[in-house]
Amino acid sequence: MMLNIFQQADHGALPKATHDEAAREEFTKSFKGFIQSTLLPGLTPVYNGQVKPAFQKEHGREPADRRDIRSAMVKNLYFQHYASANRIAQEILWESVNVSIDRQLPELLEAAKKLSASSNAKLEIPDDFVPPRYITALDIHCMPGGYTSEITEQDITAGALYDRGVYLYAMGYMGPDNDDMGRSVCNYLRRNNPDFRPLRILDMGCTVGHATLPYKEYFPDAEVWGIDVGGPVVRYAHARAAAMGHEVNFAQMNAEQTSFPDDHFDLVVSHILLHETSGKAMPRIFEECHRLLAPGGMMIHADLPPFDLMDPFTQFILDNETWYNNEPFWGAMREMDQVALARRAGFNADAIKFDTAPMAVMEFAAGSDGYDEKSAGEVADREFTAGEYAPGGGWEVLIAEKAIEQEMAA
Amino acid sequence: MSFEQMQDDRPHVIRDARGKRPQFYDTPGMDQVMSMIMVLAGDLCVVRDRLDSAERVAKANGLDLAAGIEALKLDQQALEEREARRQDLLARMYSLMRKEANEAAEQESERGYRETIEEIARG
Repeated sequence: MMLNIFQQADHGALPKATHDEAAREEFTKSFKGFIQSTLLPGLTPVYNGQVKPAFQKEHGREPADRRDIRSAMVKNLYFQHYASANRIAQEILWESVNVSIDRQLPELLEAAKKLSASSNAKLEIPDDFVPPRYITALDIHCMPGGYTSEITEQDITAGALYDRGVYLYAMGYMGPDNDDMGRSVCNYLRRNNPDFRPLRILDMGCTVGHATLPYKEYFPDAEVWGIDVGGPVVRYAHARAAAMGHEVNFAQMNAEQTSFPDDHFDLVVSHILLHETSGKAMPRIFEECHRLLAPGGMMIHADLPPFDLMDPFTQFILDNETWYNNEPFWGAMREMDQVALARRAGFNADAIKFDTAPMAVMEFAAGSDGYDEKSAGEVADREFTAGEYAPGGGWEVLIAEKAIEQEMAA
Repeated sequence: MSFEQMQDDRPHVIRDARGKRPQFYDTPGMDQVMSMIMVLAGDLCVVRDRLDSAERVAKANGLDLAAGIEALKLDQQALEEREARRQDLLARMYSLMRKEANEAAEQESERGYRETIEEIARG
């Protein structure tokens, strides 16, 4: 097990922690790591040795799916300790960052304002924006206030909380800039589509722009936009990009219906966006991607794999997020036929596929020039394993290309 | 929101997440207790980190505090002071058991307690 593989890189908009605040934050990160590396593996023998036989005795059959497994596991004390520890780790994680941010809030607001004012990149926040209910009904992944709550004028608090919180949540596995997902997709494109040079790029559901900035780095000539339904997170994203020396535009906008014209972008991406939407929103987002893409353009959504790619016990473990971490669409999204949705949105069937983008952070850690064909292939072929930060060391990506010439309506 | 926070008019963060908290244990109160234990464990680590920092700062300034601590031989007075501190901590941790024993000795009961409250309320 690698301990503390990356510390978060400092930048001008990032909250600063006192010694004790930092120690408290580190504890929450260590607690999370302990749960994953030590408590989680114990669930399998507990299930096989105790819970499954008890289920069989009671019902006269084996558990058929993740719902059966869940109904039996919630009564088991080992599972209760595991699930409770997970929830508590999540709560004290946000709390540790939150208290630190509250102490320095006036300075953070001021710093973000100055950074934003220093940038030539656009920041668009409409006055009358109403965020969708699937974002405001619950505070997703238990982040107090969620992405959209504003506690003051020109607020960036949710962005600051997310920036530091995600680093702890990912236990450093997203790299010093929390940008592993964007970097991994860029690496994937460089490896698999070396001639693709997008001139306009859109990142949907960008929050604070962690995954957005690598696109500007890999395609420096491109005009890059990040959009999100949270006002405080895009404000923070704008300030953060300025602090890191990148000219990237941000706007508060809903990915279901943006204000960009038809055929405007060559590349539309998202990173862990889809599972935080809804059953109605997700098809609309695919349709919007199709409308926004120029002929020959690509849509890439990076998220965790659909349930049918894993066994029922792994499904059950992942589905705990739905029940215990305020992720209402987490389970339902994994049961949707994303390829069919993309086809219905207008993408040609032979131009839609799932693939694995190996984690950039692994390449970084190995100090190599990049995965070779063999190791990249091994990552892509690995079974999904619950508990690893990214499944099997790579991100599941749904890729679709818009046809260069639209087919006649079939 | 704390008392100090109510005294100023600057903005403050939102402390709690919207969404009903799930209950993991059948025993009432157990969920809260587990949360308290982990908060305490966290702050124990904070204190240990702070001591580690103190040792490192001292060392950087020419004083090997860590080596000094390992080599330290405690005299009788120090041993007794530490023993007293440990006993005091344990007594505070187990104060409810002390109380239970006292109640038993005084033959106090839940019913007697309620009767006393009613009696006093009547004046």
